[in-house]
Order: sequence, then structure tokens, then C-alpha cells
Amino acid sequence: MASCRWPWRRCCSWRPAARSPGPGSLGPRGPPGPPAAADDGVQMSYFNLVKSLTSAFSNRYSMSRFHHTTSAACCCSKTRSGEKYIDPFKLGWRDLKDLYEDIRKELVISTTELKEMSEYYFDGKGKAFRPIIVVLMARACNIHHNNSRDVQADQRSIALIAEMIHTASLVHDDVIDDASSRRGKHTVNKIWGEKKAVLAGDLILSAASIALARIGNTTVISILTQVIEDLVRGEFLQLGSKENENERFAHYLEKTFKKTASLIANSCKAVSVLGCPDPAVHEIAYQYGKNVGIAFQLIDDVLDFTSCSDRMGKPTSADLKLGLATGPVLFACQQFPEMNAMIMRRFSLPGDVDRAQQYVLQSDGVQQTTYLAQRYCHEAVREISKLRPSPERDALIQLSEIVLTRDK
Amino acid sequence: MSLRRLLLRLPRYLGVSGSPRRLWWSPFLDTISSVGSWRGQSSRSPAHWNQVVSEAEKIVGYPASFMSLRCLLSDELSNIAMQVRKLVGTQHPLLTTARGLVHESRHNLQLRGLVVLLISKAAGPSSMNASCQNYDMVSGIYSCQRSLAEITELIHTALLVHRGIVNLSELQSSDGPLKDMQFGNKIAILSGDFLLANACNGLALLQNTKVVELLASALMDLVQGVYHENSTSAKENHITEDIGISTWKEQTFLSHGALLAKSCQAAMELAKHDADVQDMAFQYGKHMAMSHKINSDLQPFIKEKTSDSITFNLNSAPVVLHQEFLGRDLWIKQIREAQEKGRLDYAKLQETIKAGKGVTSAIDLCRYHGNKALEALESFPPSEARSALENIVFAVTRFS
Repeated sequence: MASCRWPWRRCCSWRPAARSPGPGSLGPRGPPGPPAAADDGVQMSYFNLVKSLTSAFSNRYSMSRFHHTTSAACCCSKTRSGEKYIDPFKLGWRDLKDLYEDIRKELVISTTELKEMSEYYFDGKGKAFRPIIVVLMARACNIHHNNSRDVQADQRSIALIAEMIHTASLVHDDVIDDASSRRGKHTVNKIWGEKKAVLAGDLILSAASIALARIGNTTVISILTQVIEDLVRGEFLQLGSKENENERFAHYLEKTFKKTASLIANSCKAVSVLGCPDPAVHEIAYQYGKNVGIAFQLIDDVLDFTSCSDRMGKPTSADLKLGLATGPVLFACQQFPEMNAMIMRRFSLPGDVDRAQQYVLQSDGVQQTTYLAQRYCHEAVREISKLRPSPERDALIQLSEIVLTRDK
Repeated sequence: MSLRRLLLRLPRYLGVSGSPRRLWWSPFLDTISSVGSWRGQSSRSPAHWNQVVSEAEKIVGYPASFMSLRCLLSDELSNIAMQVRKLVGTQHPLLTTARGLVHESRHNLQLRGLVVLLISKAAGPSSMNASCQNYDMVSGIYSCQRSLAEITELIHTALLVHRGIVNLSELQSSDGPLKDMQFGNKIAILSGDFLLANACNGLALLQNTKVVELLASALMDLVQGVYHENSTSAKENHITEDIGISTWKEQTFLSHGALLAKSCQAAMELAKHDADVQDMAFQYGKHMAMSHKINSDLQPFIKEKTSDSITFNLNSAPVVLHQEFLGRDLWIKQIREAQEKGRLDYAKLQETIKAGKGVTSAIDLCRYHGNKALEALESFPPSEARSALENIVFAVTRFS
């Protein structure tokens, strides 16, 4: 990444509307789409930067830590589809009514306690963000291909499998991070202990693999096993850290891809493979998933700084406390180089976490990260717009905007 | 970094000494005597386990060190090795597991993979040869079957590593600093996940969904088996759960038999053998694994020499059988009698068990499973590979 010298200093002169990190006050002024002429010089360089970022990472995946969705400032781009607002969640749920029940059916476990542990997060309380994207993508691809609005059984299985793989990784992540709460309740490791929690994660993963094998499509198996590998590599990336500032951002994006976006991108690709033979469509699905996934995680990282603990299912500044330098921190470090030392020692000294928080909130780190997320969302929308119009396609467009504006 | 150099370096990091360390599941090498051939088979039956293994390795073409090259040369593995190094000096179980694995790969004790290779060779190509013509075959084994053998070892190792996680809330001050244990847990989870991810990738490359399903279900069985091991292990007062021998067999199948059985079956599927052949392979794998486990459980009770401190698993076959003969109440009484100030006098309990019927019926059970394994082999054509599989059974069912 040596060729990418991020002109952050130059960008400092461009400021979004407000400096305070509260929700509702961020985002670029002016109409969506191409930048306003007055700010052309600076904004273009930033756009080029981000464009080069998005294209540079087209085949390498970044992942950042799995967090729940977090809210962010509103993005002012309008829906493309027209006047009627479609709630993507309502639309997607029609196919996912029995999602959690069906997942529980896959967990064929004889022992009560192990079954209880494995089913713990499949309680119907999650937002099922990933399965929603998957079924909407399935329909959008099916319609694009042959105007069929049905979701095939195999495509629906992918939705289940994606949610199961995601949950398995959450269970392991919670043990690794020694987390005590998630989604408003205690974690599996706190209730049943670390030994059993790890086994529960393995169990969910094996159940997902069995379901995957039963689809009977070797291409789809290859696509989704890639996710499992990416999830592990993402965790490893997180173990290490980069000395060089320029490498840090690339490292962060790669980790973000591997830990969050890969699952969404590859699940989208898998359903498109099942629904449509055209490789161009597979690529569109993949790119949509990848860009939305990265945006999702970037906003998550923003919310770690901007929201307070009673809205989320878990306490905030969680990333800092784990020693992780996410988007807002990396951007802030450009303005406050004294943060470098803290990043290197992973915020391990007393007071580091608070100081880092202060620096971030004083800087435009949050705004920059949000802006970056917007760029990824726009890219996602650009891709998905290549498909034939349909309510599902529009819902996916809508969804990418929800990603930017959610608050938990 | 070459494979050889990596394997040479790891022991130094981990402080592995020269003398072999007994693993909880491996038969004790020097006590299998040559006297008393069990089934009156040919006088060529080898006396020692490692002789059996080294002959088997010649048959399959190379020593059975199964970490896939791609996996071993990856960044992650050197990362893992470095992290495990940090654990030296702590008491995290991962260190013991890692030492055991390194020792094992030096002494070529990766049994499951070896058995999968042997049974692949013993079965040979199927009569429906057409579909396999594109596969390359080396020493009578298809490359996809070799891959499968590796995958089996990866899954086994992954769970071995995951077994070593510690519950943080149960730590005592004698276990050392909390953060060492937390760090050890972290590395153990990641390493295990890394191995599983490699196994999954390997499975995907085989391009056979039935095989993926078989191995995924074997993984599910294995996880449940490990869970039972944890749950039924003795608590503070050394009293285990009241499980009879039939429950024990079910749980042991899950934790020891399923992986090998389903892998053997999968190896047949890869060569497109029919359902009968697949079933025979499954039966061999299952029964051989059971007798192997029972043999391992019997070791503390049949060794001649009295070493200083003896311990044994209270959920092992002879003990479970002993309890079943005696009845629960009498067994609990015996445990209490063997306790002194809360500490269990294993030597005393061992004598009590040896005096009962537990040990002899465990030996019988071991031979029963050995017999079933040999029966399953009968449907395979005679060959070097089949003899090697028979010899493995003889070796694990031989008691002085």
C-alpha cells in the first residue's frame, strides 16, 4: 500500500456540516451524487482516495470486529426507487418467518444443556440482518434472471447457514474477548464457562456445514468455506498490529472485510449462483455484499464512540478496551500524532482509553469514518442498480441506507 | 520454511525432551508383550505397536505426518507457534497438547490418518472405475483419499486443542496468573479454529458433497463426545455420573469412534465404492477405534511395574464396568474408603478395581470390538494393506 499516500492533511480543510459527534449532524452538505463544484479540488482528492481504496481491496478482504449494528448520522441521499418506502426488513421477513425455528431444527443435539447453549442466540431477538440481505438478494437475482419471484429452498438455506456461521463466530469471539454481555444478555461463556462455550461454537459450525453439504452444490460449498477461513484469518489479523501508519489503515480494512464483509459478500454470491447462471450477476451480488458489509462495520466502529451503553447490548469503547484501533481512531491519529504511542501499546496503560476517546471526539475521526462508510454504500447501490428493477432490488438499496442511519 | 525445519524448531520452543511422553489415548508402547497371540494368526504378527505402524507406513508410501504443507507454511502457523512459545512457563493445557502433538509427529503416531490410507488401499479401485479415471493414484491410493486422511487428522487435532480450554472461574491460585490462562485460551481457540477452517477448505476442494456431509457430521459427533467427557468427569468428591456401560459406549463412539468410522466410509465414497463396502469400512473404523480406546483405558490396570504416582480416569471402561457389576451404592462406598482427607488414593482404588470383574470384562469388550473389526475386514480382498489393518487390531487387543 505504499502507493496510497492518503492526503489527509489536505482533507482537513474540508469539513462536514457539524463537528460534534451527535447523531443527525454528520454527513456532507449538498445534493447526493457528484461533489459540489466549489469544493471540487479537495473533495475530488478524497474521492479518489476512497475510490482507490475500494478498488484496491476488491480482492482482498478486510474485516473488523464483529459488533452489533450501531447508529450513525443520517445520510441525505434519497431512495432511488421512487416515492414508496419499502421496509426491507418487512419484505425479507416474509421468507424468514421460521428462520430461528428452522435453525434450531438443524441443531440435532441430544444433550439438553448443549442444545440450550447452542440455541441461546437463536431466540428470535436478533435483527437477522444477514439473512434478510440474503433472501432479498436471492429474489432480486431470480427476478433478474427469469422474472421468478420465488426464493428457492436452497437459497433460503443459505440464509440459515449465514446466520449460523455468524453466530458460531460470535460465540468464539466472546470467549476470546472475555465479553460478558451481548444483545442485552449474558454471554454463553459467562453462563456456562469457556470450555463449553467453545464447544457450542464448534457445534453450530458443524451444523451449518452439514446444512451446506445437503444443498449438494460444490461451488456453493467452496464459496462459503472461504468465509470460515476468512473469519479465522480476520481474528489473526487482529492479534497482530502494524507499525507503519500507512499500513495500519490497509490492515484495518482488510480485517474489516475478513471479519464482517466476507460473510455477507459470499452469502450474496452463493444465492446468486443458485438462482442465476450469469457470472456478471454473481459479481454484482458479491460486490454489493462486500461494500455493504464494510460500511456496516465502519458504522459499528463509529457507534462504539458515539452511542452510550444503554442503547446497545454491550458497553461502548469496547474496541479501545480490547486494544483495537478502528477507523475513527486511525483518522484521529492523523490530527493528533501523540496517539501513535497509544495505538502501538494497544491502549494498555491506565488512562489510555479515556484519552483516546477524547482525542477521537475532538477530531473529525467519526465524520471521516462515516463519510467513508457512505462511499462504500454508494458503491453498493451502484452495483445493485445494475440488476433488473424489482421491489427486492429497491429494498436492498434502502437497506444500504439503513446501514448508515441505524443506531443499534 | 521447509516442513522439516518447522517441525525441528517447534520442539525447542516447547521444551520437548527426548523421552516419549504418554498421551492419554495412545497405547503404552513398551508393555504390549509378544506372548500369547490372540487369534492364533500367522507367526508374522508383529510384537510391538511401533513396528505395526512403521510397516503400515511403508505400505501407504510415506511416514504419516499429516499437517498439510499449505497449512504448515502459512503465516498463521508461525504466528501460532510464536504465541504458544509465550505460554512456556505457564500452566495452560495448550502447552501440554502442543508438546504431545510435536512428539506425535516425530514418532509418527497419527493413527486415524494412517488407518484411512490403509483402508483406501485395501479397498482398491471400485468396479465402477470410470468416474475415478481422472484421479491420480500413488501407491494404490487416490490423492483425494490422501487429502481426506489429512483432513481427518486436522479435525482430530482441532478438537484436541479445543479440549484444552480452561474455565476461568474455576482457576485456583496454583494455576498461575489469570492473564496467562486467558491468553492461552485465546490462542487455543484460534489455533483450533484455524485447523477447522483448513479442514473445511480441504473438504470443499474434494468436490464431493456427500463426503463433506459425512465429515461435518463426524465433527458434530466429536464435539458432543468431548462435551460428555467434560460433563461426566469426576467432580470434587471424585464421584462420577452414574452411567452404565451402554451409555459409555454411545459416548465413546461419539468421542472416539465417529471420526474414524465416517472417514473410512468417506474414503470409500471418494473411490465410488458401493454402500456395502462403505458400510464395512465404517464398521472397521468404528470397532477399531473402540478397542483402541478400551486398550488405552486398561493400561493403568495391567501394567506390571508400580510407578510412583498412578492415576486413572474414573470414566474409563474398566471402572465403569466395575461400577456396573457392583452397583452404584457399593461403588460410592469404595470410593469413600479410598479417600483420605479428600484426596483419592488411586493405588488403593486400583487394587479394589483389579480385585473385581471390571478389568477382565473390559479386556473381553476390547476383544469383542476387535473381532467385529476383523469381521468387517473379511469382505476386503487379501492384501498387504488389509494385513496391516489386521495387525493394528491384533496390537490393540493383545494383553499379557
